Formats: sequence, C-alpha cells, structure tokens
Amino acid sequence: MEIALDSIRSYSLRWLAALGFAAFMVGPALADDVPLFKLVARDGVFEPATIEVPAGKRVRLEVHNQGKTPMEFESRDLKQEKVIPPGGKATFSINAMKAGEYRFFDEFHEKTGQGKFVAK
Amino acid sequence: MGNALFIVWRESAEAMLVVGILYAWLRQRADAAIGMRYLWGGVAAGLALALSLALVMLGIASSLSGNGLDYFQLAMMLVAAGLIVQMVFWMRKHGRTFKKDLESSMARNARAANWWGLLVVVALAVGRETAETVVFLYGLAAGKGGIADLPLVLVLGIAAAFATFWVLQQGSRVLSWRHFFRASEILLLLLAGALLVGGVEKLIALEVLPALVDPVWDTSRLLDDSGRVGGLIASFTGYRARPALLPLLVLAAYWITMWACLYRPRRAAAVTPASKPTPRRVATRPEH
Repeated sequence: MEIALDSIRSYSLRWLAALGFAAFMVGPALADDVPLFKLVARDGVFEPATIEVPAGKRVRLEVHNQGKTPMEFESRDLKQEKVIPPGGKATFSINAMKAGEYRFFDEFHEKTGQGKFVAK
Repeated sequence: MGNALFIVWRESAEAMLVVGILYAWLRQRADAAIGMRYLWGGVAAGLALALSLALVMLGIASSLSGNGLDYFQLAMMLVAAGLIVQMVFWMRKHGRTFKKDLESSMARNARAANWWGLLVVVALAVGRETAETVVFLYGLAAGKGGIADLPLVLVLGIAAAFATFWVLQQGSRVLSWRHFFRASEILLLLLAGALLVGGVEKLIALEVLPALVDPVWDTSRLLDDSGRVGGLIASFTGYRARPALLPLLVLAAYWITMWACLYRPRRAAAVTPASKPTPRRVATRPEH
C-alpha cells in the first residue's frame, strides 16, 4: 500500500513536472502557430455570429465583451464556459474540430446571443 | 422577464435540490437539531462564497488571475461531486436512525466530521450557482431595463426557489420514506455525475486532459443540450448531445462504480465467492 502510494505520488510529481515542461516548451509555440479568432459580444449580440475555422486544427478564440452587462460565453459542443464582465476579455483554447457546425451562446442573453463555428 | 426568471430558478435549483433533500432527511433524525445548524451554516457560507465569487467574476476583485478562477471552479465541481457521493453513502448507512432511536453521544461525536462535510457540500451547492445568478442579476440591473425589473425578478426568483424546496418537502411527506429516499438518492447521484462530466470537460478546456474523440456521436436532433429542456437535463444528468469520449468514459466508470457499491451488493453479498476465501485464509494461519 505504501509503495503504491509512493509510486502514485512520484508518478503525479513527474507528470506535473512534465506538464510544466511541456507548457514551457509549447506555450510560446502555441501563441505563434495556433490561429486566433476574435469575437465581440455586445449585450446579447455576437459579432460575427458565424466564424469560419479550419477543420482539424486547434484554434484560439478571444471573446471581448464590449457590452454594458456581463455575459457568459458557453458552448456545450466545444466544452467551454466562462463569465466575462463588461469590458473584459477571455481567451479560449479550442480543440481541433471535425468539419461541421459548433454552436456557442451567451447564457445571460440566451434569446439573441447565439453563434456558431463552421469548421471546413 | 420570463427568461430572467427561468435563469434564476435554474441556477438555484441545484442548491435547492441539495438543501431540500438534506433538510427532509435531517428532519427525520434524532440529532436533527445539530444537523440543521450545520445545514443553515452551509447555506450562509454558500451565500458568502457566492458574493465573493461574483465579485471575482465581475472583475471587481481580481485576486484570481488568468486561469485561477477556472481552476477554482474546477476544484469546487470535483469536491462537490465527491461530497455529494459521500453524502449518499452516509445517508444510506444511517438511513434507518430515525427520531425514536436513542443515540449515544459517542456516535454523535464520531459523526462530527460528517457534519462538516455536510456544511461544505451545502456551501458549494449554494455558492457555485448563486454566484452566476448574482452576476446575471447585476447584468440585468446594468442593462436596458435598468433596476426597475430587478426587485420583481428577485422576489419571483426566490419564490420559485422556495417552491422547489417546498415540492421536495411535500415529496418526503406524500411518498413513502423509502421511495422518497430512493428518488433523492438517484437525483443526488445524477447531479454528482453531471458535476463530474462538467469537471472533466473543464479539464479538457484547460488542456490538462485530452478529449480523445470529440464528438463521439451527435444526438442534438433527438435532444438538444443547448435548448431550455435539454440544457436543464444536461446540467442535472451530465447529458451531452455531442459528448467527447473521455467524459463519457468517466461517466460510465462512475455509474458502474455507484451501481456496484450501492445497488449490487445487497443481493450479491451472500452469494459472491469473494467472501468465502477470507475465513479459509484466517483458518489456515495457525498451522504455519
């Protein structure tokens, strides 16, 4: 039991170290290689409401809340969820998408705050 | 207006589920008075947590920078899921100690740790979702309608939350105790599963874990998880119209474990061969 615990501990430590190292190595590379898409949210209106992205490639999405009210960027298709205060920005790292449509919405303005990615 | 109300109700429903079930359950117990103190303590702590979280979300208090808030929310989800499961096991174990039973103070002391667990689980259930409600209401006040709508939404929203609580209490009276207990157990397990799925998805979003295959299938035509009904089902069961493989595997493992621990052994315990070798091994020891 002790041995098992120790090995788990050292395994997770090693894993953490590896993760840190990977982040260190990949971090700057990501910033250059991964295309960044910008989305403006304004009190329940997305601009643009449809974003075309390359299929099979990681992308980053910067959401800028230019409205007067907070918004919650949410996408069950893309496993993202975050509250963004008025004037705030948030960047999402999004897994490679297969060709198709992926919806996102503003949970605090559900009626009008609807948008989608189209991966091609 | 209707939409705002729905959001307030939906965000408070999770807290009401946890608080309502625990309240109905505690009321039956010999040590109800102690338990209630921890229950309401948890509610108070949860409201304080919600307010401070809301301030962080609004960027007014920015003690958590970058992904800090994400990791904090992740921790809250996973701890809440774990504690809800522990609560279910605890309720199962002590389910039959009703008011009439006499309990020694020793047994009560042994349960002190669990009371704190109860307080934390209530605080997390209340705090997590209420924080978003606070931010949403703040937005409502800052938006077009201004503050005019706010008091009405607030009053009606709280009324809707209490109605949920009341329905749960009625459920505990109308249904037989056994049925109420079973139903609430399943509701809590579903909620914990949903939190687990949410947590794993957050880990994928934070790039800590891989999605493996994403999506595995698409049932959005059958039941869309972004709509009102589908969204509600999604946040209470972990249902996803387009699930990734990893959360799916985690959810499957979770339910198999829950089934094995809670529903299988009662019938199987007497029959399983696993219980037989133990006395044999004990018996052979003196011979060596």
